[in-house]
Amino acid sequence: MALRYSGYVGKYLRVDLTSGKISEVHLEEQLTRLYLGGNGFGTKILWDEVPVGVDPFDPENRLIFSTGPLTGTVWPTAGRLEVIGKSPLTGIYGDANAGGHFAPELKFAGYDMIVFQGKSKKPVYLWVEDGRAELRDASHLWGKGTWEAERTIRKDHGDGGIKVAGIGQAGENRVRFAGIITSGRAAARTGLGAVMGSKNLKCVAARGTFDVGVAKDEFYDYAYEIHQQILANEYTPSTSRYGTLGLVNPMNEISRFPTKNFQRGDFPYANEISGEILEKKFLVRRVGCYACPISCGRTVAVRDGPYKGTYTEGVEYETINALGARTWNRDMASILKGDLLCDEYGIDSISTGGVIAFAMECFENGIISEGDTDGLKLEWGNPEIVLELIEKIAKREGIGNVLAEGVVRAAKKFGKGAEYYAMHIKGMEMSAQDPRSQQSYILAHITGTRGADHLKGFPCIDETGYVDAAVRRYGEQYLPEIVDGLSTKYKPMVVKDGEELGAVADSAIVCKFGTHFPPAYYWPELARGISLATGMQLGIAELKEIGERIYNLQRCFNVREGIGRRDDTQPRRILVESGTGRAKGHAAGPLQELMLDEYYELRRWDKKTGWPTRAKLEELGLKNVAEDMEKMGRLPARGKRRR
Amino acid sequence: MYKRIALIENPPINTCVGCRTCESACSFWHERAFNPEKSRIRVTRTEYGISYPITCRQCFKAPCVDACPTRAIHRNAETGVVLVSEGLCIGCGLCVERCPFGAIVLHPDKKVAIKCDLCGGTPACVKFCPERVLRHIDVNVAAQGRRRSWVESKVGGGA
Repeated sequence: MALRYSGYVGKYLRVDLTSGKISEVHLEEQLTRLYLGGNGFGTKILWDEVPVGVDPFDPENRLIFSTGPLTGTVWPTAGRLEVIGKSPLTGIYGDANAGGHFAPELKFAGYDMIVFQGKSKKPVYLWVEDGRAELRDASHLWGKGTWEAERTIRKDHGDGGIKVAGIGQAGENRVRFAGIITSGRAAARTGLGAVMGSKNLKCVAARGTFDVGVAKDEFYDYAYEIHQQILANEYTPSTSRYGTLGLVNPMNEISRFPTKNFQRGDFPYANEISGEILEKKFLVRRVGCYACPISCGRTVAVRDGPYKGTYTEGVEYETINALGARTWNRDMASILKGDLLCDEYGIDSISTGGVIAFAMECFENGIISEGDTDGLKLEWGNPEIVLELIEKIAKREGIGNVLAEGVVRAAKKFGKGAEYYAMHIKGMEMSAQDPRSQQSYILAHITGTRGADHLKGFPCIDETGYVDAAVRRYGEQYLPEIVDGLSTKYKPMVVKDGEELGAVADSAIVCKFGTHFPPAYYWPELARGISLATGMQLGIAELKEIGERIYNLQRCFNVREGIGRRDDTQPRRILVESGTGRAKGHAAGPLQELMLDEYYELRRWDKKTGWPTRAKLEELGLKNVAEDMEKMGRLPARGKRRR
Repeated sequence: MYKRIALIENPPINTCVGCRTCESACSFWHERAFNPEKSRIRVTRTEYGISYPITCRQCFKAPCVDACPTRAIHRNAETGVVLVSEGLCIGCGLCVERCPFGAIVLHPDKKVAIKCDLCGGTPACVKFCPERVLRHIDVNVAAQGRRRSWVESKVGGGA
């Protein structure tokens, strides 16, 4: 039966790579009402279909490419792709999200989503064009980098409009933090590129001429209004001009810029790797994703020196930190080269920088020596070492084969106390927010459903104190603490709200640039936009409930895999060592448990175990989930509600 | 004055960034659906990340008008806009072949030629362009602006 909601195509693909069978499935109304799209769809399918305890590289794991009801429309930032699967890095729920132009093209080609299962005998890619899909031989693409594979496909088909999302050599080699890349933009985190590699799936190529329709024509005018609202936001111009690199200097000033593997939060040479330097010395042209009014991307080139000839799309704040300050590397040109290598091989630059910094600190402390590192001296700040290690990790050569497993497994292998230097949460390397200087991140990193990550709760208002945004969103009664980076007050509320807003953004799908930072629009605009597009007539409360449902189901997936309160913790270094600069004297230890208590209470999760309660799950319409959890002994005992 | 769509950039801040918001808006204005393949403006992106929007230049000696065997393409004498009469178009694609810019294309469903008609006077692409580099302007007026910025940069902008 055809779906009665607009915005969606109404169909998706099921691809069984083992048998080669492709089937077209109608999108069920229930799924759209309860889970909206992208992230929600993927979460539900993962919960329903991936058996507990299954190895992420097992053919039984699912890999889901999903779009949302706003994808392909003129809604600002409606060009993002969501990929979901069980993570080989963390063994729990995994997702990643990329901009660019691939996701709209998938819808124009006739599908809302693709669900992969099984494992192909030989390398293949999926070709999707105007309501048809087929698996094609990819043996000539196997071993190629992501840019090269894309170019080859466009050339083979003779159509420059084809959009491709796929893996490089790192995904093929099952590097546990390999990503999925589309024209230099990365769905990088949680290692879903390695899942793709384990299925012998090189990429998906899409081309389409179909319409994406919306329920009400008024949507067009309203989308225009939101474009203008984003353009008028006070933080948009600098985001447009410098991209995420506009954050380097401000975050360094407040000592939130992880340096030397989180030994400190400020990098004395931050000025040399800032957005201003990028514009002055390396910028070729700014670049935007589909329908984006911000356009934080850029094409950059290195014009002289040892890395001359490097030409790459965008370099982000996270990459600058991970391959720069995190490893004490101040050579901007080498970071751009590293960014290009990460894109071409298809690895997450955050985890890559994290694991390199970890190895450098282990080397410094004598835990590993030249005998373990193929003769390399892993000195802080040596750009050649950083680049050499990226190559080795992607190819799994020598020491790279150990580091390609991520910091947790590498620390186990090194022993001798190496785990103290493994800066991770639930197995995923930390992103570039030193939580000691922005305490909302003490919580946001540990409650993120995919491990240490900024993009779940994504609290921004207490970064440097965005008072206007805080008042617009939460009212005046929470000032001044709510915007104070060194206060934990009200932050559990902000983090919970951000997580739910984020789940909806990742399902709609829109960029968090707009909903989270710059904080240009919020629940009311999203509710109205999605309603006009789909015809669902969603209120704010209903939309929030969708966000909460998605987040709770992700948590349940993790609890089912054994996660609980004891895993919701920062690395020991963050708990016991003081931060630097404004965070001097601030370790996270005394604050973390208090914040968690308050957060669990807000979520109505059990404080002792960190498990969602039956009452909460039933309220969200997840009674069956509660039953399953009870059967597994993962539901908190009844009647132990707080007084 | 004959107005048409022009690209007026101010690098590095305002340039065509390849976001294709113009394509999306154009298709909805004309078709009530989002579909870049039905857009009358197309952003071309090179392998090196350089983007450039292409749409009809409303040529004075339009190759598409000359090429059309059924006289489906004509120029409005008053506004200078080159228009396609869908009823006369046979979808032969000669105009597509002859346009030096690739600015006229065949509609994927209707199989008739489609091209920029300036949305009847308020072009959707210009309205939406977030970089504000697409303008609806007479090129000679645009040239005034170019002359002024050149003089200011080379000779000096005063106090």
